[in-house]
Parts: sequence; structure tokens; C-alpha cells
Amino acid sequence: MIQLREAAAYFVLSYIAALAVIVIVKLLTRRINTHALLYGRTAEGKLYFSPERVQLLLFTLWTALTFFMQTIQNRRSGKLPDIPDMTLGLLAGSHMVYLCGKGMAMIRWKSNKGEK
Amino acid sequence: MPIASTPLTLAAGWVALGFLALLGIAVLWYIFTERIDLRFLISEPNGDASMARFQLLIFTFVIAASLFLIIAAPNPPRFPDQIPQGVLILLGVSSSSYLVSKGIQFSRDEGVESRAPEVKIAPAMAQTSAGGSPVQFKADVLRLANTAVIWNIRSGPGTVDQNGFYTPPESPAGGPVLTGTVVIEAVSKADPALSDLATITLI
Repeated sequence: MIQLREAAAYFVLSYIAALAVIVIVKLLTRRINTHALLYGRTAEGKLYFSPERVQLLLFTLWTALTFFMQTIQNRRSGKLPDIPDMTLGLLAGSHMVYLCGKGMAMIRWKSNKGEK
Repeated sequence: MPIASTPLTLAAGWVALGFLALLGIAVLWYIFTERIDLRFLISEPNGDASMARFQLLIFTFVIAASLFLIIAAPNPPRFPDQIPQGVLILLGVSSSSYLVSKGIQFSRDEGVESRAPEVKIAPAMAQTSAGGSPVQFKADVLRLANTAVIWNIRSGPGTVDQNGFYTPPESPAGGPVLTGTVVIEAVSKADPALSDLATITLI
């Protein structure tokens, strides 16, 4: 007879996996809006291909995948893997680049509108 | 120290697991049938997809799944003694980036509300039967001052009043059960070009 602990573990793992699959399928079939995900907007409101968003996406996917792979390898240890300072630094830098790009676009928009 | 498993604690555990499982399955079903709408899960208010929201979604999923794996994998399962500082910093960076991005977005009106007005009926789908229960619909008119709508039946039997109250047709006496699909429409009074449809299945 299945133990309560095993039943709970199977259920939660299956639930998280099912939720992830649903979200991924909806993203791929565009039932979750991904319009302009890799695009920014100019001061005039026009879309432009945004390298800062692309680099943030790549860093995010790389960090998340690496972390998850390490967790799977070391799961029996009962400890989450730590993230190296260099990785954190790179990720923080990546976010700064993205936010600076977004902020600059906002400043240019406000300058065009005559706001200070 | 592991808790002694008496019949009562086991029974309570199974009941709690069953309840949570039903709740979780209901949520998944609602997401699958789009009664919980995820269309704008990573969208900003102006309709563009947000990289800040997307990265927060990814890290939330990955860290939640990882935490559960390392809790459940050892025998017996146990919560970790310590969460590594790097993981906490990662979550902090991800969340802060999301908040700053939201702040930048909200610093101008056009970043918040530049989507076109729209009409949205809830629920989008319903089910009843000929001679069965009526269904109450609600129409939200978004980003227009005048929120009044005109209700009408696009196709199929039954009636709908101007409060969105749909009444199915009477079941024909001695005849075959009336089944099919009814489509109702809500049209904005302020802008007749804006409308939404809802479907009722007669079973």
C-alpha cells in the first residue's frame, strides 16, 4: 500500500510538472501573450528589437537551467545548491542593463513630451 | 525527530492530502479550460509582454520545484537546515528587477493604459438544458466611460434580457430533447464596433 509520504511527493511533483507543462504549451501556442517580449518601445511608441531583453532572457534561462540540473544531481543531500558569486554578479549586471535600457527609453519619452 | 504515525494522524494526513489534491486539480482544470485566464500572465497593462515578469515566473517555478525536490528526496523527508544565501540573493534580484520595471512602467499613463477598449463577457461558456436553469451573464466594458451594453442572441434558441439573463427555451412536450449551441452577444452602446460573444451549450 502506498505510503502517505510517497503519495504526497508524487502528487506535488506531478502538480508542479503539470502546471509547468500547461504554461509552456500556452506560451508556445501564444495563448499566453508574448507580444513584443524581445522588443522595446521608442520614445515615439514604435517597437525596436531589444538586445538588453535578449541578454536578460539568455542569462535567466542559463542560470535557471544550471541551478535545476545541480538540484537534480544533489537532491539526496537535502540541500539546495548555492549559486556562485560570479553568477549572481553576472545576473545582477544583466538585470541592470535591462532596467537601464527601459529607464533610458522612459527618459527619452518624457523629454519628447516636455516633461522633466 | 519524526512524528509517531498513529491511525488518527495518518487519517488526517490522507484527508488533508485529498482535499488539497482536489483543490489543485480544480485549479488546473480551470486553467486548462481557460476559466482562469492566463492570457495576460506576463503582460504589462499596455498589452506588451514583460521580460521582468517572465524572468520572475521562470525563477519562481525553478526554485519552488528545486525546494520541493530536496525536501522530498531524502528519507525521511525534511526541510533543509539552511537556504543558501545565493538563492535568497537570486530571488531578491529577480523580485527587485520586477518591481523596478513595474515602477518605470507606471511612471507614465501611456505605459499603463494604451490598450484599446474592449467588451468582455463572463462566463465565456456555460451549460444548461431546454427547460433548465437560466444563466446570468455579465459584460465588462473596459477603458470606456460608458459601460452600458446591448444584449442579443446571435444564434440559437432562448432569450436574453438587457441584464444579461439568458432563459433557455422550453423543452418540447413529447418530442426529442432540444440540444445545440447558443451564441449571445454584448455590444457596447458607446461604440457598437466593440462586442464580445459567449457560448451556451444546451445538453
